[in-house]
Amino acid sequence: MNITILNGDMSDTSGDFSAYIQKLARKLREEHRVNLFLLNQMNIQHCSGCWNCWWKTPGRCNTNDDAEQVLRAVINSDFVIFASPLMAGFVSSLLKRMTDRFVGLLHPYIEMRNGESHHIKRYPHYPDFGVILAKEPDTDEEDLAIVRDIYDRFALNFHAQQRYLKCIETSNVKEVVHETSHYQRVAEA
Amino acid sequence: MKLAIINGSPRRKKSNSKILIERFLKGYYRECTDEVPVHYLAGQKRKEEALSLFEQAETVLVVFPLYTDCMPGMVKEFFEEVSKPGIIRPRRIGFIVQSGFPEAIHSVYVERYLAKFVKRLKREYLGTVIRGGVEGIQIMPPGMTRKLFSHFEELGRYFAEHDEFSPEIMEVLRKPYTLSGRRRMMFNLLKHTGLTNFYWNSHLKKNGAWEKRFDRPYENAQP
Repeated sequence: MNITILNGDMSDTSGDFSAYIQKLARKLREEHRVNLFLLNQMNIQHCSGCWNCWWKTPGRCNTNDDAEQVLRAVINSDFVIFASPLMAGFVSSLLKRMTDRFVGLLHPYIEMRNGESHHIKRYPHYPDFGVILAKEPDTDEEDLAIVRDIYDRFALNFHAQQRYLKCIETSNVKEVVHETSHYQRVAEA
Repeated sequence: MKLAIINGSPRRKKSNSKILIERFLKGYYRECTDEVPVHYLAGQKRKEEALSLFEQAETVLVVFPLYTDCMPGMVKEFFEEVSKPGIIRPRRIGFIVQSGFPEAIHSVYVERYLAKFVKRLKREYLGTVIRGGVEGIQIMPPGMTRKLFSHFEELGRYFAEHDEFSPEIMEVLRKPYTLSGRRRMMFNLLKHTGLTNFYWNSHLKKNGAWEKRFDRPYENAQP
């Protein structure tokens, strides 16, 4: 299975969170092909909202930065892991900045799905994903529910499913590896 | 400074958010002559200016487009900045979220986040105005935007008078929450005519990109 991990940790990536993600990548590599992106070591610009990726160079973002390698990895993956410590109650602006650039992976045309309007697929396959967070001192269940629900909405638009949302304080690496690998078995069944 | 507005659209002065803010202020100035500064988050050094505004105003409204089901990355960056210790914060904070999707349902999830965010800052939450169907307003004939603009002007006028969003106008603006069965049926009938994609197709053709509209540039070649 091809797995892409987007680590949106904005610290120097030597802290507990990034150590957890490094360990997770190492364990997953024992059975899978893993692409780990440390976003804070990459040049990722904000989406400018130009829509060139929709109406000028369909599917291709013209911003000259490192986002293309992430987009390529994501759309060719079987599974994606969005990883970030919570900051002000949501994933980091760095991870959000990268996710904003996903817009060109979809087509601008709209279809009716689940009784709502959503963008149609550009690619035949979109990877399901998991979310891994680190809590802030004041994180509560409501915060986690908000993040989970927003990612469920994202999944709906991204033609995918959110398979899990984990916090490093309550889920060890072994558990996340098991759930990610178990997903493979479900997908292959 | 009584009120300040922060425009969180990456498109800055070409944004639909700017148009809605202008309509809001047109109504606002009918009742109040206090100048309302508007700052953009996009662009060099803009964050510092917005931060300064945040520290000086009694009330701040943050206006942004929905990006991948949430706030744009640059708005989140701003939220992280103002969450840091030592930042002076306005007494009251409200939001206007606009999106290209016609239904409000797409934006109500980020609304929950915004309410919690203001609570975390220990400030008064003024609510979130949600409006869908905004993409394309810059090329729509005046007849198609008259009602929308009039609602935003009234929203601004009411805000100047009462220091809060009008609950009635907020309710009107967030309609439709979901599309009615009749509207969905109409969409499904019209999609075969190409009318539902007229906006996108006209841009694709103008840019000579029509033939490439289904390209998959990032797909790996199959072995």
